Amino acid sequence: MKQSSPNKIWLAVAAVALAQSAVLGWMIWNRTTLLQTGREIVAEVIPVDPRDFFRGDYVILGYTFSNVPDVGLPAGTKTGDVVYTTLKKGDGSKWDVAAVTRDYPATVGPDQIVLKARAEYVYVGPQPNQLTGRLAYGIESYFVPEGTGLKIEQQVRDHKIDAVLAVSQTGEVAIKGLIVDGKRVHDEPLL
Amino acid sequence: MWGYRKHVERDLARWRQAGWVSEQGAEAIRADIALNRGGIALPAVLATLAAVLIGFAMMSFVAANWQDMPRVLRLGLLIGSLWAAYLFAGAMIQRGLDGFGHAAVLTGTAVFGASIMLVSQMYHMSGNPPDAVLLWSAGAVLAGLAFRSNPALAFAMVLVAVWSGMETAQRGAVFWPFLLGWAVVSAAFWWQRWGPGFQLSAVTLTGFIVSLGYLLKTSLAQEIVTALGVLLGAAAIIGSRAQSEWAGLARAIVPYAMVITFAGLFAQQFFDMTMLDHFILLAILTLVLTLAAIWWGLTTQNRGVLWLGYAGFSAEILGIYTKTIGTLLGSSVFFLSAGLIVAGLAYLAYRLHARGDAMEAV
Repeated sequence: MKQSSPNKIWLAVAAVALAQSAVLGWMIWNRTTLLQTGREIVAEVIPVDPRDFFRGDYVILGYTFSNVPDVGLPAGTKTGDVVYTTLKKGDGSKWDVAAVTRDYPATVGPDQIVLKARAEYVYVGPQPNQLTGRLAYGIESYFVPEGTGLKIEQQVRDHKIDAVLAVSQTGEVAIKGLIVDGKRVHDEPLL
Repeated sequence: MWGYRKHVERDLARWRQAGWVSEQGAEAIRADIALNRGGIALPAVLATLAAVLIGFAMMSFVAANWQDMPRVLRLGLLIGSLWAAYLFAGAMIQRGLDGFGHAAVLTGTAVFGASIMLVSQMYHMSGNPPDAVLLWSAGAVLAGLAFRSNPALAFAMVLVAVWSGMETAQRGAVFWPFLLGWAVVSAAFWWQRWGPGFQLSAVTLTGFIVSLGYLLKTSLAQEIVTALGVLLGAAAIIGSRAQSEWAGLARAIVPYAMVITFAGLFAQQFFDMTMLDHFILLAILTLVLTLAAIWWGLTTQNRGVLWLGYAGFSAEILGIYTKTIGTLLGSSVFFLSAGLIVAGLAYLAYRLHARGDAMEAV
């Protein structure tokens, strides 16, 4: 640190603190905008590998569209790649995977919605030349107050929980809240 | 740095006696050291530790009382402590207490990282965790550059390594963007002319190159790593003979080139499936290179290379011993031939040495 003039130091303070605050502010603004303006859907939450279920104070949520066995992934998909999943409304709060594509699809039906995802695992099968795998949407963790995780975990296992999601025009998705036994709980104000 | 001050004090007394330095000059030198070097003393180290502890205390307090606080208050707390840390850093630096300043900058960087995580938690974002680490690293680089703070830059390099490690683990493949992050932080070290920073750069790059041997999707991955190490080592040794400011840098690179070469050779011999004749060739090559490195270390007074050479030689011998037990070749035959080779090399070295002395005598 060899600042010659005292003003330079305060310039550094302002630049760093402002820039870092701006990053945090941008993260929050991005999220609240998505939560406010995104299309709201309700999706069924299903249990995932119980070993992974409850870690500390967050619950791992699985979705019916987390695994893509039938339609397959686009050829050449590698772990970590971004893909777009087109979902089709099924019974109740169930959403089924209609297609997984490399780019955001040109046309989306009225009963369909597109989510941006990252390929978490990719493997070949069940048919040769078919890629299947597990997708992550960034909505797999739900942070809860200390000590209440186990209860929610049990409710997930009993298939009693739905997630309220907000989906943007570009496929970004965020958790708005949870529905337990048909009642909307754990909804927090935006700020 | 106490060691440095003591060292200079000793030299000063000697220089004073020799009449090279006047009493005034000695005083000026002492004052300069006190001003510029005093910052990295024990109080500063303690301040850094205190900063880390306070940062952790605050974050765990916030995390524990999370749900009792409205979101606005949580955000206020995060951003407030961010500003407090950097303002404190500014105040300390202005008073010439650079050590405390560095500690505060480091705290601010830690608060920034914790804030990213807490905001993610607040909005249930599980996104891609390495992205958060990358963002944190960018914040650390910014703080390091703006405050010219070496600890913040060192922390940024650690974060670049963590980011790339997480991505590599996820993909199971080489994560090339690491090189970009590495280059940015290394350039900052260069700008700061900070020696320990170069070492950190070298360590992380060495780790990356060694990892290529396991991650490159080719059967020749370890051969490529070995070749890279040998080329780098050769270039560094040739460079160290040049009469320029680069010679010192080149000398410093040699031990890292050794580690890379040895990692590649070791993996080929003991982790890959290798035919016996191929294995013998590799083992001989390893022993010759290790001995050459020891010799180079001896002649150039490079203690790091010397010790690495001894360690590599021992590891190689141990590996050969473990691998050859009960094989066709038999350990004893191998060690006999290895011993003969080493003896031959020793004789050669002795001859070269003797000739060098003779030439000096003339």
